[in-house]
Amino acid sequence: MHHVVLERWSRQSSPMHRGDPRVKVLNLLVFLVVLSTAHRDLVQIAVALGGLLCCAIVWSRLPLMGALGRAAVVLPFSLAFAGVCWIAGDPTRGVHLAVKSYLSALAVLLVVSTTPLPALLRGLESMGAPRFLLMVAQFLYRYLFVISEEAQHMAKAAQSRGATAAGMMGRSARFRAAAGALAVLFARSYGRAAEIHRAMLARGFQGHLETLAALHFRKADLALAIAGMLGPVALRFAVERFC
Amino acid sequence: MHIPDGYLSTAVWTGMDALAAPAVIVIARQAQRRFDDARAPLLGVMGAFVFAAQMINFPAGVGTSAHLLGGALLAITLGAPAATVVMSAIIAIQALVFQDGGVLVMGANILNMAVVGVWAGYLPFRFAGATRWRSAAIFSGGALSVLVSAVCAMAELRLSGLPPKTLAVSALVFLISAPVEGAITLAVVKALDAIQPGFVRRPEPGRRWHSSVLAIGLTAVFLGAVGVLFSSAAPDGIEKLGLVSGMAGRVKVLPGTPFSGYEASFFTSPWMRKAAAGLAGLALIYGIGLAIGRVAAARKRSV
Repeated sequence: MHHVVLERWSRQSSPMHRGDPRVKVLNLLVFLVVLSTAHRDLVQIAVALGGLLCCAIVWSRLPLMGALGRAAVVLPFSLAFAGVCWIAGDPTRGVHLAVKSYLSALAVLLVVSTTPLPALLRGLESMGAPRFLLMVAQFLYRYLFVISEEAQHMAKAAQSRGATAAGMMGRSARFRAAAGALAVLFARSYGRAAEIHRAMLARGFQGHLETLAALHFRKADLALAIAGMLGPVALRFAVERFC
Repeated sequence: MHIPDGYLSTAVWTGMDALAAPAVIVIARQAQRRFDDARAPLLGVMGAFVFAAQMINFPAGVGTSAHLLGGALLAITLGAPAATVVMSAIIAIQALVFQDGGVLVMGANILNMAVVGVWAGYLPFRFAGATRWRSAAIFSGGALSVLVSAVCAMAELRLSGLPPKTLAVSALVFLISAPVEGAITLAVVKALDAIQPGFVRRPEPGRRWHSSVLAIGLTAVFLGAVGVLFSSAAPDGIEKLGLVSGMAGRVKVLPGTPFSGYEASFFTSPWMRKAAAGLAGLALIYGIGLAIGRVAAARKRSV
């Protein structure tokens, strides 16, 4: 599954992995802004920025083709949109949208696959994002796959009882059956949440997740920050100057 | 409905981020009052539920299936502020982990789905949830939540300069999926009522004027978005109006202030100006968000 790969990637070791999450978030924002404001010479800029991303991926010891493939999840939507743009008589815009959304997704993927999500959220918290929201996001991520697995089991159980045999059952009956399954899933999730909550209270949870490792800003992070922020800006400057 | 990065123009996404950040901070505080910090696991698990719910397919039309989007269902079961927090967390996780929706445009996505969509889905239930129109209120809540967020998203895309024809296709999709979401929400709520009546809360007897102000605000947002879509269908109506009345001439004189048109004037190259203005906008949003958070925290302590 998608998350397992990301989880494995984000726990490897490389200079990029060791970087401060706050620096990586700032670098990401700079990259995205530089990319999203590009209009003229977009193709050359995209090649330059894409090259930069590929270098960073290799430097982070991530599989290049794997990362490029994973970022392609945005392409079906973007290409469909580009197709519609083409039909509407504006093919350039369609290409721009597809290129920008793909490179943006690749940049986000690079940051997320070199930073474990808890560390990333902790970095965001120390940058001032609302703590309650981040905590909810963290629990969401933690239980996402537990609950999804439960849903998959329920779907499989329903299938093995013949829920997919369209001829056997009217559409409204199937609709009601799906609604019943969702309601059961809701009730189970709610019950599980209550159990988790009680278990955490019993272990002394007071509404804040304590972490053992504090965030440290080191010299290497300063270098990463400078390289990450100046890199995209300099590349774009060079492209517009010399192309 | 998740807008990816690169689709919105700089002015639109900075504007939406600037609106979304304070809105989410204020609503998160409101949710925290009802669900104190220690209840964060509940909201997180319910967010996971919405993800998982997308695996259960509902038959919709000939040979097609649909799944729950969840904004209205969460609002009805957890209350609107908590639903906003859960949906915002979902959008953040989708953008970061699944590359579904952008990072710079996250403010726009949160505003469309987690703020406007959730509250639009909640309002009918708030006003009619305890009357004999309860079923109709739940159905229209589900449908409205999809419709209103879709209209907002399309208005943002239109403002960013996407041609109206490209949006017509998406409009058609959303017109179909809105009643489907209403039907799914209603069916799930009915099934929940049958399992355990306590899950679906009765609408809280809050201050009515509070909700009325909210209703007026949402209606204004909706009408504004519809207005953008319609005015864009007539070829550049507003621009023509501006030209005729000589506004366009005057507008050009104005940009002398540092951030006007989101272009900081102290850089020479036009893209540098745009990028710098975008970053300055982000910094500004960041500062405002921090300040609001501080003020809200101080108020909480003094109470």
